[in-house]
Amino acid sequence: MDGGYNNYSSTYSGGGGGGGFMPGEMNNSPSGGKSDYANQTLRPITIKQALDAVQPYPEAPYQIDSAEISSICFIGQVRNISSQSTNVTYKIDDGTGEIEAKQWIDSMTADSMDTDDAANPKAARGRDGKVELNGYAKVFGKLKSFGNKRFVGAHCVRPVQNLDEVHCHLLEASAVHLFFTRGAPGAGAGAGGGVKGDAAMGGTGDEYGAGAGGVGKNLPPMSPVAKRVYQLLRTEPQSNEGLHAQLIAAKLSLPMPDVARAGDELLTAGVIFSTVDEQTWAILEF
Amino acid sequence: MSLQTPRILPSHLHAFHPSSTGPRTSHTVRILGTVTALRGDTATMTCGNHGDVTLILKPDSHLQMGKLVEIIGKVADLDNGSGVGIRVLGSTDWGSPADCDYKIYEHVVNATYKLKPIFYDE
Repeated sequence: MDGGYNNYSSTYSGGGGGGGFMPGEMNNSPSGGKSDYANQTLRPITIKQALDAVQPYPEAPYQIDSAEISSICFIGQVRNISSQSTNVTYKIDDGTGEIEAKQWIDSMTADSMDTDDAANPKAARGRDGKVELNGYAKVFGKLKSFGNKRFVGAHCVRPVQNLDEVHCHLLEASAVHLFFTRGAPGAGAGAGGGVKGDAAMGGTGDEYGAGAGGVGKNLPPMSPVAKRVYQLLRTEPQSNEGLHAQLIAAKLSLPMPDVARAGDELLTAGVIFSTVDEQTWAILEF
Repeated sequence: MSLQTPRILPSHLHAFHPSSTGPRTSHTVRILGTVTALRGDTATMTCGNHGDVTLILKPDSHLQMGKLVEIIGKVADLDNGSGVGIRVLGSTDWGSPADCDYKIYEHVVNATYKLKPIFYDE
């Protein structure tokens, strides 16, 4: 399974190498590098998020909500299709922005992969399942740039026939954004995960950035684990000596190294301080 | 940079009206509803249980009665002075309204307002 995927990505960068024949272009793409193996995620996003994604330094992997992105997916309307001999470029508009998705044509591997759902016996995907101008399409790929222009190197572009899927994607993108900015559901306001996602979203208040249940009120961006640790320190009854890391680890059922790392993060951010020893922390309030 | 078309419900129309003060530069919106009346150059669209919106059609907009459509258009005054409508720039036919859960759309509109930074500028 894992090997299969790795094969796939190396095949893919081979395909992407079509652009790499130009001298100097080879290093430009953040895909296919070693760093990719650690982060093989597929993140649902809006096009605005893709356009707003930041690179901490040139040629670094892109970040959204201070989390590195690997593969991304989004749904939008196809505003232009331009077919060239080596690639097809789709201009996609999802109402939040517009971006080009470039799909390389690799005659060797064409149709050998089952990403386009061609085998779907229902054939309900209207008009022979082709991506159409002004129709909706879902794009899976990696964010790249060429010069100053951002585009998406697409693995797969498929038509979307159901409006609910479009809306679901936008909600999914919202949920993932909230996960990265406010921590996992349940860790914060105790709103629970899964089906209660709605309640969590409703409970976030109108002002963007206002904390859910006190988490992240003035917190700098940090990892979800750090947020959970902070939340526990806030809510758990304790003496003025605070809580020991072991106790936090037990309460959150997290491994000690994770808690230690979260503690370091919070200490560095200056939102907690160590009391009787290095491993006992309390909220720094002023 | 690129054109943004916020998803709205009929109650938000006034906020996108050209006369409304604010930093908004675009009056182009995206709205979902069922076509419930066709009158030549105008049409009425019903948006779930959020009321009706009058659409000012362009000659080549082909709307069909009873179909669910997504409209992209500009908020504008109606000719007869009877309020605010949408001048249609483009429309997408989504077939039968029964195939789509309008509640999900309501939640999407809600989410786009609560989490503006990932959806729209300003």
